[in-house]
Amino acid sequence: MSESSKSKSSLNLNPSPTLQCKDLHEYLKSRSPQFLETLYNYPTICLAVYRELPELARHFVIRLLFVEQPVPQAVVTSWVSQTYAKEQSKACEALSELSVWQEAPIPGGMPGWMLAQSFKKNLKVALLGGGRPWSMSSSLEPDGKARDIAFLDAYALERWECVLHYMVGSAQTEGISADAVRILLHAGLMTRDADDGSAVITRAGFQFLLLSTAKQVWLFLQHYLHTAEKRSLSAAECLAFLYQLSFSTLGKDYSTEGMSNNMLVFLQHLREFGLVYQRKRKAGRFYPTRLALNIARVRGSAPCAGLVPQPPQQQQGYIVVETNYRVYAYTQTNLQVALLGLFTELIYRFPNLVVGVLTRESVRAALRGGITAQQILHYLNQHSHPQMLNSETGGIRATSVLPPTVVDQIRLWETERNRFTYTEGVVYNHFLSQADFAVLRDYAKSQGVLTWHSERGRTMVVTRAGHDDVKRYWKKHSKS
Amino acid sequence: MVNVMKGVLVECDPAMKQFLLHLDETLALGRKFILQDLDETHLFISADIVETLQARVDDLMDQLSIPVHDKGL
Repeated sequence: MSESSKSKSSLNLNPSPTLQCKDLHEYLKSRSPQFLETLYNYPTICLAVYRELPELARHFVIRLLFVEQPVPQAVVTSWVSQTYAKEQSKACEALSELSVWQEAPIPGGMPGWMLAQSFKKNLKVALLGGGRPWSMSSSLEPDGKARDIAFLDAYALERWECVLHYMVGSAQTEGISADAVRILLHAGLMTRDADDGSAVITRAGFQFLLLSTAKQVWLFLQHYLHTAEKRSLSAAECLAFLYQLSFSTLGKDYSTEGMSNNMLVFLQHLREFGLVYQRKRKAGRFYPTRLALNIARVRGSAPCAGLVPQPPQQQQGYIVVETNYRVYAYTQTNLQVALLGLFTELIYRFPNLVVGVLTRESVRAALRGGITAQQILHYLNQHSHPQMLNSETGGIRATSVLPPTVVDQIRLWETERNRFTYTEGVVYNHFLSQADFAVLRDYAKSQGVLTWHSERGRTMVVTRAGHDDVKRYWKKHSKS
Repeated sequence: MVNVMKGVLVECDPAMKQFLLHLDETLALGRKFILQDLDETHLFISADIVETLQARVDDLMDQLSIPVHDKGL
């Protein structure tokens, strides 16, 4: 993980960057301030954004919420003791990035902070009530054919797996709508085959498959929102609705009354992906499923086990990994076999069992596809068979149920590909005097652009970005 | 006068550095690419060779590895 960020700063040396899964904060950060402005007209979004803020930032927001004039920045600073200056600057940065507050001058010339008007208004609504009622909250008569949570979980999983099945191209599915295919293509998870125009999975798609379900859904929806505008849906309205869903209760039905036409279209899409359940298109009511509820919980690497919908037979993992690199997977679905095939060499296939082996070639093929060792291990861990929990690993088991040899080897295979670190830079040498060298070296060091230097060889390397600055300094220095 | 060269700083272990020197000397990549030998673990090379070099190192690693496990076919 750290390796990929390192190479980003220099050349594009990593030809297959790891798939980025942004959380809400990062997603919003990448949007324009105008878009954020529109979003903050929805109380649900304000609440969701508020909940995702760093703790200190939330504190600031509450203190500023009822202040109707700009507050001097110095005052905000004084709320936090010096010891936590770092946390404070992080909090301030987060608030500015999301345009939750804006800089506003105070009479007298001091810079001040002021919460964005719409955010302030709608967060109050979210916290204190008032405003228009949520469109889906209108009361309903009890559903004659009420659905329980187990049913919803099974439904959500089945629908979502349809999408995943489509991606791996397995034949056992009914296919998905053209809209969904378009989103997959747009997201770069699939691409049109040059020969016959059929959709085939890309490297990014393979990485997508290894993500946790909550992350998959969120990533998918991000791309949905990107394409939403083209279908005359407002991305802001959709996002607001999604967050409204994420605040709803599992197993309760909600009315579609009062929803705009656009939102009804959106609801049908969500229905297709299993985020909501509707018995009939015109049923007038729908049940949000766990997939929808989990949208707000993408943050953090591993979702709590209870939050991911899993039908009973899958509640337990199905993969056994042995110290001899063999992998036994008790599964019948092509999807899981295809996933396993991403990084193992499959040897045998039985009706309910697949046997594979982790080889250097198979793992390297996965690594080359941009899948990280961490993702592979996470997947194996997440789906490991309960039997693995009982097995003895000689007391050296640390955080993983996998055999340590296998974990280490997979990591080694990954690091083996990164024996070099490349940094684009500029070398300075042939200095006439030690003093000249020292001056320039110290300057580069103070600017934080020095990557390597040698006293004896009077040679130094600065980053490409810092080169112009250092050159300018050197010209000035050599003249004087 | 100070001399300035643009390129890529490579950091690696001493063994891999020797391999790079070898590639440079034998013109295995078709030409010389090392601009400056900095120290035991650092080299300064021209930027346009990086991709070729990576492929070459991959090849080397392939030759070095021996399958350790039993496929039991």
